[in-house]
Parts: sequence; structure tokens; C-alpha cells
Amino acid sequence: MAEQELTAKEKQELEDKESTRPGRYFVPDVDIYEDEHNLWLRADMPGVEQKNVEVELHDDILTLHGRVSLDAYEGLTPLYTEYNVGHYLRRFTLPDAAKFERDRITARMANGVLEVQLPKAERAKARRIPVSAG
Amino acid sequence: MAFISFSQLDPVEGIATLQREIERFLRRPLGIDLGPSAYGVYPPINVFADKEGLVARAEVPGVAPASISVRVERRTLTISGERLPESRTDGSFHRRERRFGKFSRSLQLPEDLDTERASAECRNGLLTVRIPRRPEAQPRQIQVQAS
Repeated sequence: MAEQELTAKEKQELEDKESTRPGRYFVPDVDIYEDEHNLWLRADMPGVEQKNVEVELHDDILTLHGRVSLDAYEGLTPLYTEYNVGHYLRRFTLPDAAKFERDRITARMANGVLEVQLPKAERAKARRIPVSAG
Repeated sequence: MAFISFSQLDPVEGIATLQREIERFLRRPLGIDLGPSAYGVYPPINVFADKEGLVARAEVPGVAPASISVRVERRTLTISGERLPESRTDGSFHRRERRFGKFSRSLQLPEDLDTERASAECRNGLLTVRIPRRPEAQPRQIQVQAS
């Protein structure tokens, strides 16, 4: 693959007019990756500390919620701005939510990226069935 | 840039909003030059002033702090690095919205900054570069003598 140059993408504001939460919300960019044992979600949430992240799986709705700390902006007067600052919220419907082991779901933050690991239950893992020659 | 929002035509608030917008327009960054068009260039940068000097902040989630280079050459501040994808091939992607690759971004700084004392930190995917003003450019309180 040729060397790739990173381009900026404008942040998308969450269109949730009935939200009762105060403050501005943005939709984080998310990668969803599946391997044999897990489903992985990675969400870009720059400025969010680990303690301000909530990950919740309720029925089949997975919610990723990160709050930015506005302390980092105290005493600062904007001179020039190219991006907006706000919290992050994203919801996904997992059509096969029952196949994950809810008690073993883990989440961690690293360099402003939230990583959620949803382990698949043993019975839900793909099994290779040997084909015997007849 | 929308100067006035016609959806809320309250005459008093309207004038106050216009006044604020004009003030904001006139207070454009003196001495900060990001080139002809900064749109679409990664990473987007916000520039602030604090009582020490200038603070530039960029969102670089997923970039290891050690792989970010911050350089100041005369009056040009350059932020560069690379956002590496997770190199895994044993599974498959259901959704792929995050972008990866190399980036480099420069901005022209005002003259009254002391680049020798510049500092940079990266926490939670937020890069902050602080450059204090030169001592002689710091505001000074001048005593008024009673004659």
C-alpha cells in the first residue's frame, strides 16, 4: 500500500433533539472489528479520561458515552478555532446481542481511543465442521 | 460563516449578537497564519491565548505521544506524526470510519513569543503546545505616582 496522508474530517454533531443531557454532543468515528473470539469497537474520543467513559449494553443496544473535561480549557481565550469541543455519544444495535458474554465485556481508553471488547460465548463461536470423504 | 441567525429575530438580542460577531471578526488572530486554506488538513488546530502566551491544541486520538514531533523553527511551529492502523488480519471489519496515515501541519507564530521555552504534552489524544510570550512582551503594571 502506498504511503497514506491523513486528511481531516469535520466532526459531526449529534442530531438528538430530544436529549435531556446538557452540553454539545458529537458522533465519534468508530471501527468495528470481529475475530474468532471477540467483537471489538474502537471509538475516537479525544480529551476523554477513562473515568468519564460509560459503556452500557442494555438489551441489544450498546451505548458508548464519553464526557470531555472542560477543565483543560479554563483560562483560555480562543483566538482561532478549527474544531468544536463537546462530549461523545454513539449507540449501536447488536442484532446478535445474546451471543456475547455480558459479564466479560471490558472497555479501556488509550490515547483518546475507547476500545470495547465483547467476548463471544463459547456456543456462539464458529466451529469448523470436518467434511469426511464419502 | 453566519453572522445573524434569522430564526431568532429578537431586535435587542439581534443587535447584541451582531455586535459580538463583529467583535469576534475583528479580533482575528493577529500574527497567526495557517496558510491560505486550512480546511481538511489534519489535525485541525485550535489556538488560544492564556496569561502566559499562546496555547495551540490539536485532537490526535490513537497517535502514540512518542510518535508525535513538535518543532519550532524561527516563527514556524510544525506538528507531524503518523496514525497507525491496528495491523490485524485474522478477522474482518464491520465498520471502518477511523482514518490513518501520516500528517504534518505548520503554523506561523506571532513575533512576541519565546519559542525557547515552548513545551508540549499529549494526554488522552489531546496535544497541547504552550509557548510563553517573551518577558519584554508581558504586560506590565505601571505605578501612577502622585505628584
